[in-house]
Amino acid sequence: MRTLRRFFKRLRSWARTQQDEDRLQAEIEEHLAMQTAENLRAGLSPTEARRQAMLKFGGVEAIKEEYRAQRGLPFLESLAQDTRQAFRRLRKAPAFTISTVLTLALGIGATTSIFTLVHAVLLKSLPVANPDELYRLGKESRCCYQGGYSQEKEFSLVSYDLYKYLRDNTKGFAELAAFPASEQLFGVRRSGSSQAAQSYPGEFVSGNYFNMFGIQAYTGRTLTAEDDQPGAPLVAVMSYRLWQQQYGLDPSVVGGVFNLNDKPFTVLGITPPGFFGDALRDTPPDFFLPLNAEPFVQVDADLNKYDTHWLDLIGRIRPGAKPASIEAEMRVELKQWLRSHWGEMSANDRAKFPNQTLYLNPGGAGISSMREQYEHWLQILMIVSGFALLIVCANVANLMLVRGMERRRQISVSMALGAPASRVMRQPFTESILLSLFGGAAGLVIAFAGTRLILHFAFPTFAGFAGVPISASPSMPVLLFAFVISLLTGVAFGIAPAWMATRVDPIEALRGASRSSDRTGSFPRKTLVVFQAALSLVLLSASGLLTVALHNLENQDFGFEQDHRIVAAVNPRLAGYRTDQLSLLYRRIHDSIASVPGVSSVALCLYSPLSGGGWGTGVFVDGQPPPGPADDYFAAWDRVTAGYFEVIGNPILRGRGISEQDTATSRNVAVINEAFSRKFFKNEDPIGKHFGREAGASRQFEVVGVAKDARYLPDNLDKPVGAFFFLPEAQAEYARRNQGALFFHDIVIFAQPGASLSAARLREAMASVDPNLPIISTRNLREQVAGQFNQQRLIARLTSFFGVLSLVLASIGLYGVTAYNAGLRVGEIGVRMALGADRGHIVTLVLRGALMLIVLGLIIGFPLTFAAGKFLGSQLYGMNPYNPVVTVAAVLALGLSAILASLIPAFRASLISPIDALRAE
Amino acid sequence: MNQIKEKRDVLQGTLALMVLKTLDVLGPLHGYAIARRIEQISGDLLSVNQGTLYPVLLKLEQEGSIAAEWGASENNRKARFYRLTRGGRKQLQAESRGWEQTVAIMGRFFVLKAEDLK
Repeated sequence: MRTLRRFFKRLRSWARTQQDEDRLQAEIEEHLAMQTAENLRAGLSPTEARRQAMLKFGGVEAIKEEYRAQRGLPFLESLAQDTRQAFRRLRKAPAFTISTVLTLALGIGATTSIFTLVHAVLLKSLPVANPDELYRLGKESRCCYQGGYSQEKEFSLVSYDLYKYLRDNTKGFAELAAFPASEQLFGVRRSGSSQAAQSYPGEFVSGNYFNMFGIQAYTGRTLTAEDDQPGAPLVAVMSYRLWQQQYGLDPSVVGGVFNLNDKPFTVLGITPPGFFGDALRDTPPDFFLPLNAEPFVQVDADLNKYDTHWLDLIGRIRPGAKPASIEAEMRVELKQWLRSHWGEMSANDRAKFPNQTLYLNPGGAGISSMREQYEHWLQILMIVSGFALLIVCANVANLMLVRGMERRRQISVSMALGAPASRVMRQPFTESILLSLFGGAAGLVIAFAGTRLILHFAFPTFAGFAGVPISASPSMPVLLFAFVISLLTGVAFGIAPAWMATRVDPIEALRGASRSSDRTGSFPRKTLVVFQAALSLVLLSASGLLTVALHNLENQDFGFEQDHRIVAAVNPRLAGYRTDQLSLLYRRIHDSIASVPGVSSVALCLYSPLSGGGWGTGVFVDGQPPPGPADDYFAAWDRVTAGYFEVIGNPILRGRGISEQDTATSRNVAVINEAFSRKFFKNEDPIGKHFGREAGASRQFEVVGVAKDARYLPDNLDKPVGAFFFLPEAQAEYARRNQGALFFHDIVIFAQPGASLSAARLREAMASVDPNLPIISTRNLREQVAGQFNQQRLIARLTSFFGVLSLVLASIGLYGVTAYNAGLRVGEIGVRMALGADRGHIVTLVLRGALMLIVLGLIIGFPLTFAAGKFLGSQLYGMNPYNPVVTVAAVLALGLSAILASLIPAFRASLISPIDALRAE
Repeated sequence: MNQIKEKRDVLQGTLALMVLKTLDVLGPLHGYAIARRIEQISGDLLSVNQGTLYPVLLKLEQEGSIAAEWGASENNRKARFYRLTRGGRKQLQAESRGWEQTVAIMGRFFVLKAEDLK
């Protein structure tokens, strides 16, 4: 009780410091006066009386100090004092303060940005209820269609029929939902509005989709199983993002009718904000439609095809159910379902039947091809930024050590005067904490800016940050982590020299404060510089390798011309075109655009090169035995209008390209590429030979030409181009079950050299054909191609940035150490010069010490660079990890900057006049 | 000059007790007066720097055993007077009892002779 009362009294008197000081002073004065008076009465002289009084009182200052120790909150007060003094000291050394804060900020900021991205893309769960109860079908995500009754490695996509079978028979799932693996665009127009249709992404989902995720509608209601029945009214759910951005949260949207691909749908409700569907995508869906609405909106419906597997599955397991047993159950069901379709299976499918299996994986993070696509990059980025953080910490440590050395003398004096070691060490401690706080705050700013910058460059297709499921705000845990690391480093390296100083007998320190006793103190600094040099070498080599790989990727022979080519993207599905209307539409588009001034020629195609899409099929060559289950008989293909090869600049090496002579009534032809020819026709002349896309239809197409290998698909960019063939647009196969290949995506425009084509003119030309069919985007073919390498470019740039940064930091560190050591040796240099050494000799002397450090760093860093190259080589493609040019360049860069960094102090040392040097002793 | 008497150092805790007793017996005093009285009572056997009194006074004031206020001293100068509070009186009684007990116990030990323990 008494202690508590004391504490409160102390707290109160802490607020009244000055008054109390004055009062104490007055009281002591009084006391002394009275004692003096008494001494006077006893007969002493005035001076003697006063002196005796003071002797009897005791040391006034000592008493005052003890009084103060009782009075306020001395701990807090001295802390405040230390902080004020730390501020003053930091202000007096601006170079040190700024460089430390900047270094810390860069390290903390850069690391936080990158870890934030990693967390958001790789680690975050879907914003749904209890994501750990969710399980998905498939270990890897596949896009987007699988046909037939067998799938390589695992059954990860299912048809609607198979989904229903699994849903109805698997007891372990509380709800099992299905949704397409592909991304879908819809042409949307509000019913009654006169505006042209806009295209928005959407998704067909099973009736229990929202129930399975545990998502309630923000307003209105979501889909239920009743909505997902054949013949049910056409309904849809809209995303919050679209409702807010496009319709301004207008309540009449709920219950309103919208035309999707020209079919009327009633909007039932709005999803909650932040819900972005089942996968992390560039463009999250804005509309959710029941699966059974698919045949109404898609010309070529997949719903009722037993063997078109286009759906991904995610399910919520019942409480207490074991995923392993559910997986086993589902495998049995898969086999049962396959058996029920035995009659329709091809020979190959039947042969592969025993190997058919499936896997269940945790699905809390959703189906994410984006995640898999970017995973490797982000991992590399993480490692690179980890390196950078290490280098930053080393630099901060270096700076703090220097500061510690300067403080040695002062510490010794303080200790000689009787200060306890803890009190003495509190000052560097406070300084370090202040620096870390500032560095952390600045780092926060850099982290915010950095994350946005990286997002901007890495995901340029994002329209804005509104609906983007990746938050640009740095995650707190990561920020705290980086901050704590920097704090620890700063404190450790701030305290260490101070602590060492307190152990030294003060007289020793005072006597030899600037002499050889400090030589041992520069060992940790030297180690740090060596460490920094090694790391810099690794980073520089890595960035060199990545840059070379990028250069190779971007400058490979793509097989087509990129200059003067413009690609305009369209989607006839959005305006509700039927397949039989397409041919005429394409001709009208062709003629309209060809008439725009500046256009040299036009062609349309299903997919232009490196646009991200493509079709593939199995190939059955006439006159050859059918391929077995182990053979690779895959080829990708495209559909093009007449004159395409000239427009795209893809040379025809043999025979001819697709031309006007290929009509709906002439014989069915195909143009193949060199790779196709080598793969299926070996050394024979392919012209005139036949092949087909189905077993038993091997005379479907006649080969009329061989084109140069051109890169169409964005996969396997380091491997040679795969087998590819082209079919004429005019020879459409309406009888095919999958009509998707009739809907062309791209218009390729060959502009006259020197002509400037504006997107507005092109849109006008399109509008004159059909105002309801908009151009989705226009870009140069060069931009389109370069867009495939965005991530590689980003990685190369970031690594180079970190490489240069580490080089600069290492150089600064080296400069500091060399300058310091040269300063130590001033006396020695003076003697040498007096004995006849010339300037050059001195320079070499100082340089030698510095370069020793760098060489040591290089020796340590060398094997690390090979390890790094090997690691990168296995992650990236097309890169030779043992590139001697890059390694030599990195070594040279490091060596040159090291020489530069140490040349300055060496030069300064050589300018010392011997007299001054000797005098300074 | 004064006789140099033997002086002994004193613990701060006992000093506090002396202050309390002095105030109890003599009523409110200012700092200097307390110091002089303690000197007198101890018969100059204690060697105490007068200044060390002030931290003790502060501590007692913080604990609530004494209260301080400004007043006029003998020669009409402004001085700070300290007086015992009710809590201080209670503390004094409790600690006095404690001391007496200690003295009694220790006393028995000091008169012990070897025979008493056989």
